[in-house]
Amino acid sequence: MTDPNPSDDPRIETPTDGDADGAGVPTRRRLLQLGAIGAGAVVSIRPALAQSVGSVLVCNIPVPDLGHAGSFIDANGALVPAGTKGAVAPPGRPFKGEEVKRAMAGYRLPGTNYESNRAYMNYIRRLQRGQGGFTCFASLQMPR
Amino acid sequence: MRYRAPATDALIATDLDTLTALFHRPSGITHLVASPVPEILAALAEPMTRDQLLAALARDYDLTDPDPRALAQRLDELVASGLVATS
Repeated sequence: MTDPNPSDDPRIETPTDGDADGAGVPTRRRLLQLGAIGAGAVVSIRPALAQSVGSVLVCNIPVPDLGHAGSFIDANGALVPAGTKGAVAPPGRPFKGEEVKRAMAGYRLPGTNYESNRAYMNYIRRLQRGQGGFTCFASLQMPR
Repeated sequence: MRYRAPATDALIATDLDTLTALFHRPSGITHLVASPVPEILAALAEPMTRDQLLAALARDYDLTDPDPRALAQRLDELVASGLVATS
């Protein structure tokens, strides 16, 4: 049905004055490609603080600190001589930051019962600057 | 499922030629993004579904590949990065 007419030249629309300056050309809208070229379109750079969260969780908190190795811990977290009635023996290994963080959220420290968990956590909460594990415990409480 | 971009005051954007650096203030994470991410985030100022987003982008841009699957991949990346939330 189409009837090509070689004599009918459509160039009547061709601007001759050049005043349109590109107007009328169907590129008024920006091109956009949805498919990613190569890898994904997002690269995320996490802040240094977020990196440090990983190392905080593997730091250690000795109970008690090395200077008091062998001391027992009473229910309030105070160090008392070994064998003191009502106090618990030290856990035998330092707790990891991650374990203490979980215990702060209501879980028990690994290998503990209600009494020893309470004693160890009270000891950890009472740590002072300069004591082993203080820096680790302090960094656990920093907001992310 | 509807997608939405963070509030405008939650993002600080800087153009880096073909890339855009976006500092997401709530998370403190900086994202380097390429087109079409800035365009998608601009469109998602108001929450919409993927189909609505595709229609909005097709209205505002000449899409070389108006492919819902490609858009789904971009949205998945953005949700994983935390730059786009779903509801």
